[in-house]
Amino acid sequence: MTQMHVQSDGHDEHGHDHPEFLAHHWDNPVQQFEAGKLGMWLFLATEVLLFGGLFCAYAIWRSNHPELFKYGSQFLDTTWGAINTAVLLVSSMTMAMAVTFAARGKMKAVAVSLVLTLLGAGGFMAIKYVEYSHKFHEGFYPGMAFYEKPNASDLWMPLEETAIAQKAEIAAAEASDSAHLAAEDVARAEMPSPPADSQVWNQPEAGIGPQGLTTNNEIMEMAEFSAFLPSSVLGNIEDQPEELAFAEHHKPGEEVHLSHPLQDPERPVNAQKFFTIYFMMTGLHGIHVVIGGIVIVWLLWLTMRGRFSAAYYTPIDLGGLYWHIVDVIWIFLFPLFYLI
Amino acid sequence: MSIFGFLATVKLGEATSGGGFWMPEGASTVAAEVDEVFYFINNINYFFFALCTFVLVYFAIKYRLKPNHHSGFSHDAPTHNTPLELTWSIVPLFLVGVMFWLGMDGYLRLNESPEDAYPVSVTGQKWSWTFQHPEYGVTEAGELTVPLGRPVRLLMTSSDVLHSLFIPAFRVKNDVVPGRYSSLWFEATRPGQYRLYCSEYCGKDHSKMLAVVNVLPEEEFQAQLGKLAREYEDIEDRDLPVYALTRLYNRCASCHSLDGKSGTGPSFKGLWERTKNGTTAFTDGSTLADYMRPGGEFEVPENYIRDSILNPQHYIVQNYLGAMPTFKGQLKERQIDALVLMIKNMDRLVDEQGNPIESPDLGDADISTGAGQ
Amino acid sequence: MTGDPRPLEQPTLTDNYLTYTRGFLSWALTLDHKRIGLMYLCSVLLAFLLGGIFALLVRTQLLVPEGLIMDQDDYNQAFTLHGGIMVFLVIIPSTPAALGNFVLPIMLGAKDVAFPRLNLMSYYLWVIGAIFMVYSIFGGGLDTGWTFYTPYSIDQNSAMGGVIPAVTGAFILGFSSIFTGMNFIVTIHRLRPKGMTWFRMPLFLWSIYATAVIQVLATPVLGITLALLAVERAFGIGIFDPTLGGDPVLYQHFFWFYSHPAVYIMILPAMGIVSELIAVHSHRHIFGYSFIAWSSVAIAMFSFIVWGHHMFTSGQSPLVNVVFSFITFSVAIPSAVKVFNWLATMYKGAISWNTPMLYGMGFIFLFVIGGLTGLYLGTLSTDIHLHDTYFVVAHFHYVMMGSALIGFIGGLHHWWPKMIGKMYNENAGRVAFVLFFIGYNMTFFTQFMLGSHGMPRRYATYPADAGFQMYHIISTIGSYMMAIAFFMMAAYFISSIFGGRRAAANPWGGRSLEWQCTSPPPHDNFSEQPEVGDCYDFSVLRWDEATQGYVWREDVDRPGEKSHA
Ligand code: HEA
Ligand code: HEA
Ligand code: HEC
Ligand code: CUA
Ligand SMILES: [Cu+2]
Repeated sequence: MTQMHVQSDGHDEHGHDHPEFLAHHWDNPVQQFEAGKLGMWLFLATEVLLFGGLFCAYAIWRSNHPELFKYGSQFLDTTWGAINTAVLLVSSMTMAMAVTFAARGKMKAVAVSLVLTLLGAGGFMAIKYVEYSHKFHEGFYPGMAFYEKPNASDLWMPLEETAIAQKAEIAAAEASDSAHLAAEDVARAEMPSPPADSQVWNQPEAGIGPQGLTTNNEIMEMAEFSAFLPSSVLGNIEDQPEELAFAEHHKPGEEVHLSHPLQDPERPVNAQKFFTIYFMMTGLHGIHVVIGGIVIVWLLWLTMRGRFSAAYYTPIDLGGLYWHIVDVIWIFLFPLFYLI
Repeated sequence: MSIFGFLATVKLGEATSGGGFWMPEGASTVAAEVDEVFYFINNINYFFFALCTFVLVYFAIKYRLKPNHHSGFSHDAPTHNTPLELTWSIVPLFLVGVMFWLGMDGYLRLNESPEDAYPVSVTGQKWSWTFQHPEYGVTEAGELTVPLGRPVRLLMTSSDVLHSLFIPAFRVKNDVVPGRYSSLWFEATRPGQYRLYCSEYCGKDHSKMLAVVNVLPEEEFQAQLGKLAREYEDIEDRDLPVYALTRLYNRCASCHSLDGKSGTGPSFKGLWERTKNGTTAFTDGSTLADYMRPGGEFEVPENYIRDSILNPQHYIVQNYLGAMPTFKGQLKERQIDALVLMIKNMDRLVDEQGNPIESPDLGDADISTGAGQ
Repeated sequence: MTGDPRPLEQPTLTDNYLTYTRGFLSWALTLDHKRIGLMYLCSVLLAFLLGGIFALLVRTQLLVPEGLIMDQDDYNQAFTLHGGIMVFLVIIPSTPAALGNFVLPIMLGAKDVAFPRLNLMSYYLWVIGAIFMVYSIFGGGLDTGWTFYTPYSIDQNSAMGGVIPAVTGAFILGFSSIFTGMNFIVTIHRLRPKGMTWFRMPLFLWSIYATAVIQVLATPVLGITLALLAVERAFGIGIFDPTLGGDPVLYQHFFWFYSHPAVYIMILPAMGIVSELIAVHSHRHIFGYSFIAWSSVAIAMFSFIVWGHHMFTSGQSPLVNVVFSFITFSVAIPSAVKVFNWLATMYKGAISWNTPMLYGMGFIFLFVIGGLTGLYLGTLSTDIHLHDTYFVVAHFHYVMMGSALIGFIGGLHHWWPKMIGKMYNENAGRVAFVLFFIGYNMTFFTQFMLGSHGMPRRYATYPADAGFQMYHIISTIGSYMMAIAFFMMAAYFISSIFGGRRAAANPWGGRSLEWQCTSPPPHDNFSEQPEVGDCYDFSVLRWDEATQGYVWREDVDRPGEKSHA
């Protein structure tokens, strides 16, 4: 790897037409190139599956707690998101140009395109930095840092709340939509009344929504059994934030300015989950952008050293594929978080 | 070794009555059914196992390489035979189809509890089981009393990690999941005592999370629960410590010893001394004395014990993890009082080795619980 | 046609890959697939020893009901590390990464795998992952079981501090496995020699290929699951933690989505090895080639849609259970097809009773037991009773240890002469096999009885009066016998390196390409790409007394073989 320049017809000790970029176990450049390409595609498949796990988590969370996503997404800045999408798309284009120029042997143009792509990567990360620091400033952190973690023993309450909501929903479906709130009252009336000595429940973050696999039946049964549940369950139900109702009397996109989300009286239970998945997915994507940037720098370096030619530019081609997949993943992330 | 296998074949006749060589004796309505499916699969498996083993050994011996046969291996033996391939794909396919069907059929019946089942709510927590009988307002720990010949339905949840309730004699099992309810039903067919295990790994004392299912004929069952329902109401205040030690301590035993050895939690021995003197240190560096000043949270030291039982996560004793589950809602007021009194009077209740003293002398015991002060 | 000199060529001391270059760095930085394979082999066997020691601790503890040597916490760590090491460090990399790396390019007549640097990187990822795994013992301890079930594993108050290092280790090992898989897929696609169509590949390559597909498709999901688990434990994000509104059962879905296919990552390569062992040592054309090949692919595909059978009692909906039970049975059919085809291969063969063949036959016997007991577990109503008991433990040891690992050990005996260039002591090999076989069945067959009588797994102690102890004692004695057998194996392998007889190029009479280069192979495997024939036509070989190996017969044409006159 120490030779300064490589030509496809360069001298080499293997004899006949065995150019130096060709590793000893390949018969010819085409075979090597195709292997590289297949390998890259396989790698991209694993990348997609890696994100696939998170998309799956997103889908499950969203279907379990739609209100959190409605609530959370209004705090994301669609303008910055859109600008970032554009930046990535343009960088994808310049990357494609680099590959085309490489195929034609125009190495100067390749270098210029790579620099442009790199600028795109940098710009994207800069904007992400602005967005992230803004979020942190407002007090939106991922996970537990959002606020204190409640005790395992405090699990009971939200289940109860869910039962009420479920009953309300069922009742509402039977009556009409406008009767929703009334139905909720009915559901409450059906619940056993709290004993006199019960404490006021004040840890709303311990929410358990309808689980993906919990059947309605079980929740209904639970309500029947509630007479034998720990007394903490029967806390002051009236004080609960009405997560389901929230989405209805709150226009999405409406300006909400708060110094800290905890002070928002209308914040639904477990609001931090939205930010958790937001930070995880965009964070993992950001890591990929950074890796992509490093790859581009490496390609640029090799280009400047004259390693590539029209006959051999496999790394540029493969780097390009990687960059496109990073772009494509963002194309999915943007609408999922910012738009819907 | 396959001797075992053949032994089992001999026993096959008993299969339909439940139990047999492979299964423990059954004691519920579903047991016989489950065993039937088991032995059905068993028979098919014996057949294929015997077939494969026989063919394997027979060929291996019959076609052993002859010493002079080291060259000129024939190339004429058949290399494929599609009808044969199809046969040995389709026959097993058919058989597994039957297995699937039988299993599903049995499972769905195992899953639908009868309407009028006797309800019990179950809480699993590290590392004990609590059974509540809503119809009697009775709570049992470590022992589940159920009626004979009546369907019983367990509605289960966990207050910490996953557990799983498993009664081999009844062939039932279901995971117990925090934040969610799962259920299970059975109808016992024979009176007696049966083992109940926790079969989902739940940490240190997973293997000690055992209980006994006590199946009683209807009248005895009602009498027993009636007795349990009145149990602590009839007790004199003075007898509460002994009551706690014999009836309640088993819920604490997996973590708290009586002989001074520390386990998952600190030993009960000497605990009261520490508490009274306020010398107990917490993980955050404070000591109990800090909260015992007049007007402080624990001006009355008994309240600390009480608080430890109801809100164990508030103050974590140094050198321990906050592993203690809350007993809020699982113990009645009077039971908590009993526990407090038990801890206060530990020295009178057990000897140096931590063994309970027969009829301890509690004549002059301090039986104030701090409540109302 | 005169005798072909090439297969008879004796390796010279300076001519083979072992001696090609010298010095520590020439190994540590090697790109030669054979050296990497050998490095994997040593590492995997070391890990196996470690996992085995934990197994013996587990077995010794269970001799008496109250536990003989450990307290509960130590026992929980012992079986966790036993399971974790055996699965992630031993059985998943054993056949593909160790034997596959060595054999696969040679079988293809290639000089190396497609991406030699990536291959070396996979190896070092394995090493780093292994260090993390082992570190988890000291860095706080690991007691979650190899499954890392939530919420136990994310609860700071329960599970010990080793969870994050361990899942980091498993994450890294996952990438090692992904890169190996990618490498093999590309190698098989792009480096097959002229004349080797897909249906002329040795069956070992088919099974490696199917395995690689699973590795590439399933492992990333494990990666992200473990990452989520680590983040959940560290920051409390609320996806698996019920106190934060998460769903602990969701974790199980994620986990088994990888780990069920993973069990076929373990068994498929072993099945490939067995196809080779049975054919070569029966000196008889493999029966039903294309059925065996396709059944590998079928198993790989079905393996992705049956994961729910590990969760029949988890509280998922009955309908989901029924569907998963149904699909589970579909995997049994391709497995049955393989078993019957192997048996048919032996029909009218010329079976040599040497050590590799004994392992091949042992595999069939044990796999039939292991596989058939999977049927009780796939059946819903019986699995409710058997789930999380020793019955499951026995089932998966029969398939993982009795089959997957035994396939690997058989392959090791088969290719050892090729790898090292020396023969091990045949008689010692046979004795060790018999000892292993008896010990094995004593250890694990008894566990079926334990399980069906209700002994739950992961128990450090058990009730004294439940009638379990007798079985435990037999089981423990069996495990000691097995340990002796493995130590014997280690002894005769090691002594063969120093004192063994020089191995011929083709000591068993194989036809696939790796038997056409010298033992051990030269650095570049083949100076000229060999031409490909029917790799299961053994009629063209004859025994050569002088070299104690097989050579081409002079009197027959080798169909499809280039003449080397
Ligand atoms: C190499 C690994 C391997 C392999 C190959 C298999 C193969 C199979 N496994 Fe196993 N399994 C494990 C490793 C493996 N398993 C592990 C590790 C666990 C537990 C993990 C844990 O909880 O820690 C497990 C657990 C497990 C369970 C969950 C049990 C529980 O926890 O409750 C189930 C349930 O369906 C199951 C089923 C099967 C089936 C149906 C097959 C089939 O593929 C078997 C097919 C083979 C045959 C059927 C035999 C050959 C065929 C014939 C001789 C012809 C005659 C055939 C018929 C009549 C059908 N396995
Ligand atoms: C491939 C996987 C594999 C292998 C090979 C083994 C091998 C063994 N296993 Fe393992 N086992 C698992 C995978 C495996 N196990 C898994 C996944 C679990 C579940 C863990 C959990 O619940 O989380 C488990 C659990 C498990 C349990 C249940 C614990 C419990 O639930 O409480 C038991 C109990 O008997 C046990 C026993 C054994 C024994 C005696 C061996 C013996 O066969 C081991 C014998 C080996 C040796 C003694 C090493 C000798 C090696 C050398 C000398 C090196 C040199 C070798 C050569 C050159 C060839 N295992
Ligand atoms: C799962 C284990 C576990 C069980 C069961 C358990 N405890 Fe504890 N307990 C602990 C641990 C760990 C601590 C120390 C940490 C802390 O203070 O929370 C503790 C602390 C205590 C303390 C304070 C000790 C001190 O030194 O100040 C009291 C009192 C107590 N437990 C009472 C009980 C009673 C009464 C029961 C049964 C009804 C019980 N515990 C059941 C684990 C347990
Ligand atoms: Cu509870 Cu295991
Ligand atoms: Cu499985």
